[in-house]
Amino acid sequence: MSRHKRPESAEDDEPKLDISSLIDATFLLLIYFLVTTTIQPREQDVPMTLPAASPSETPPEIEPKLIRIDANGAIFVGAGASQLPMDADENHSVPLLYSDLQAYSGLAKSSGQEPLVQIYVDGGARQQRVIDVLNALAGVGISKVTFTDLVDP
Amino acid sequence: MADDGDELAIDMSPMIDMVFLLLIFFLVNATMIIVKQDSNVRPPVASHSKKAKDGTGRIVVNIYEDGQFFSEDGVKLNTEEDIEDLVKKQKEQIDLQGYKPKIHLRGDKEAVFKYCRQVVRASARAGVDQVLFSTYGFEAK
Repeated sequence: MSRHKRPESAEDDEPKLDISSLIDATFLLLIYFLVTTTIQPREQDVPMTLPAASPSETPPEIEPKLIRIDANGAIFVGAGASQLPMDADENHSVPLLYSDLQAYSGLAKSSGQEPLVQIYVDGGARQQRVIDVLNALAGVGISKVTFTDLVDP
Repeated sequence: MADDGDELAIDMSPMIDMVFLLLIFFLVNATMIIVKQDSNVRPPVASHSKKAKDGTGRIVVNIYEDGQFFSEDGVKLNTEEDIEDLVKKQKEQIDLQGYKPKIHLRGDKEAVFKYCRQVVRASARAGVDQVLFSTYGFEAK
């Protein structure tokens, strides 16, 4: 009976907001956005320095490694008659080239020289294939490359 | 009073716990934006690529699968001269800021390499010889 006596002091007559439906809706929205979110993969770098950055007066004593990538994505090492076919499949980790480069890099470093690599890429080769080779180079710690034959026919 | 016992009381503490948990999850997941990523370019995969540390001095060139060139702001670059102009202009600004200019090459993985070579050639003429190839560190689904 107390609420009819003095309305301003009675706790029952105080306006109360029922927030449970608000929380329901908020969680529904939260779950909706959580489910629909796609996390964008992070983009990373393969850094390379082109030879113009480090011109040297003395010709290098070590014989540069020649890598050729043809339009179909097959990789060859060496020049002329001594050219050796390397990986030609779709494997991104190019195991044959990688072990060859490791040997070359080890040889260069043991003689105290910087390994030199020249890459000739056919204009029709796919970017992914070139990145596969650059990736192998980055893996063995070679970051200075020359792209030979910069003129496309 | 007996009325107090009938009051509807919502315990907010688990909700606050949840909200903080989510907040921390998104904070940890957040990545710094290095460059604007054009979604028309799907970068190739390279397992030895490194996490981008600094976003300074990057001149972005996007290469689409069909060989079209775009700048970071989505401006179409029609010729090699356009690329050279862009690189020269941005190089001047970056030099003024005291950073080292570098090309951030975002080439589509299916793009043919001769387009990539055009960018490298144009940037070498403009005097920038550091090239960063944009890649994913793992195969994206």
